[in-house]
Amino acid sequence: MEQPLTLHSWPKAIVHIDADAFFASCEQALHPELRGKPVVTGKERGIVAAASYEAKARGIGRGLRLFEVKKICPEAIILPSDYETYSLFSIRMFAILRRFSPDVEEYSIDEAFMDLTGLRRLYQGSYGKIAQQIQETIERELGITVSIGVSVTKVLAKVASQVQKPRGLTVIPGTEIHRFLKDLPIEEVWGIGPNTSALLNKFGIRTALDFAKASEAFVKKYLSKPYQEIWHELNGRSVYPVVPETKSDYQSISKTKTFTPPTDREDFLFAQMARNLENACTKARRYDLAARRLFLYMRRQDFTDFGVEIRLTRPTAYPLELLDVLREGFSQIYRPHTLYRATGVVLSGLVPTESAPFGLFDDRVRIERIAQVYRVIDGLAERFGKHTVHHGASHRVELHAQHEGDRGDIPVRKIALFKGENKRQRLGLPVLSVPV
Amino acid sequence: MTETGRLEKWKVETGGQKLPLLGVVAAGWPSPAEEELVDTLSLDDLLIENREATFIVRVTGDSMVEAGILPGDMVLVDTSQTPRSGDIVIAQVDGEWTMKYLIRRGQQVFLMGANAHQPVIRPKSELKIAGVVTAVIRKYK
Repeated sequence: MEQPLTLHSWPKAIVHIDADAFFASCEQALHPELRGKPVVTGKERGIVAAASYEAKARGIGRGLRLFEVKKICPEAIILPSDYETYSLFSIRMFAILRRFSPDVEEYSIDEAFMDLTGLRRLYQGSYGKIAQQIQETIERELGITVSIGVSVTKVLAKVASQVQKPRGLTVIPGTEIHRFLKDLPIEEVWGIGPNTSALLNKFGIRTALDFAKASEAFVKKYLSKPYQEIWHELNGRSVYPVVPETKSDYQSISKTKTFTPPTDREDFLFAQMARNLENACTKARRYDLAARRLFLYMRRQDFTDFGVEIRLTRPTAYPLELLDVLREGFSQIYRPHTLYRATGVVLSGLVPTESAPFGLFDDRVRIERIAQVYRVIDGLAERFGKHTVHHGASHRVELHAQHEGDRGDIPVRKIALFKGENKRQRLGLPVLSVPV
Repeated sequence: MTETGRLEKWKVETGGQKLPLLGVVAAGWPSPAEEELVDTLSLDDLLIENREATFIVRVTGDSMVEAGILPGDMVLVDTSQTPRSGDIVIAQVDGEWTMKYLIRRGQQVFLMGANAHQPVIRPKSELKIAGVVTAVIRKYK
């Protein structure tokens, strides 16, 4: 018999909620005819973004290229990603979690942590029972399943949620930790990378339990603080708090463009990049936001990405101020005679425009003139369609007429509009697609 | 000060010093009309009870025409409500999707269209209720 790592069953109760094959599940929830079938999203990117469990059972996983999917599983249903709908489901999932406890951390679009410590009396049941209620509510109201892990720390809750998927529910009280870590390879612990696991392997540490039982002296001597924290968490001592704050809707704005066939033509690629920048800036201006950082990247034919981040001296959403640095960044990542399939820009560090400070050396008169120009450009786009006036840098895009939507790259939700909806704005409710 | 009781100037003389004012100060009592506005419902509030569980369904068929639901209408469907006899529900009966009145008589559960001439649907093997129709929306312009 192994000794328990701790004798305290529930010093804390931390829950990890992990939606099962999230994007594919949203599609199956809204399109009942897809239930029970292998569904894959990511059509617009050429690679699998999410695969339903039916598709996973046929050997299809994230990142697989779509032509390979068609070979392995010709009956697979391949859909373009509908991020708007997935975001609605994500917001709803977090809102349902908050009915149970205010301490909800939105960890990613399809994952959350919750702190349920002290709520057993309120719900008149064990932590496992509360987790089961959460799971059932999400499935009943959203039509998607989640896997849940309940334990005493975040790292252990994450271990628990991976034990059984989909629709798993695994409870690891403090006294049971050792049983779940015994056969868990160390590299599968959240936060342990290949280098750290290689280092630990050299000292004979192969499982999470080996690591948890390592002495404090060893851990302090060989590992840096983040790994010391993981060691505490594996031993049932909570170090990482659940951080209950809503992620801002517009932390970043990204615009990408994939084109077929891949190309190595510099002028075309830069024009695509400039068009992404125009699109991202237009969106930022619509929300009166300005960016402090600009990230640009290019995806090669072999799906490797090369990117560079640029810190801006002043928050802005005007391409005219950004095209020079875009050119500079582009020249750092572009390699001649290399085929590229996509370009993208991300505006981040967004702040409201009115609070964007002027620097000592900023030419305020010039900036105000630029602002006036963009007010006119935005007005013209409103009246005559987007990119009525665009920058010379992106003009080549117009010359290569893009057959947008030809390959079914646009989600149905963006095409089948209700009266009053438009290309940009649609109702914030998911559409259940049933023939009635 | 003007007769309406508003300070109209941006700067007020106060014993030789000039005091800048940010904005316009209204004197007197707050209008009771404004206070009442705090308690109004938006159309969203009116139509949606449980936002997380509310979905839109686009109506294509005409089986509920006599209940006032036309092809092309949007209906709001709540997946969290327990369906009661007399509710309009979106359901899957033996594999087929339909929108009908749910009727419960004792142990018996069946579906009924709005049209009196439509046959009553009694599920042979399976009845799955996706949600309860809570509103119909028809936008003309």
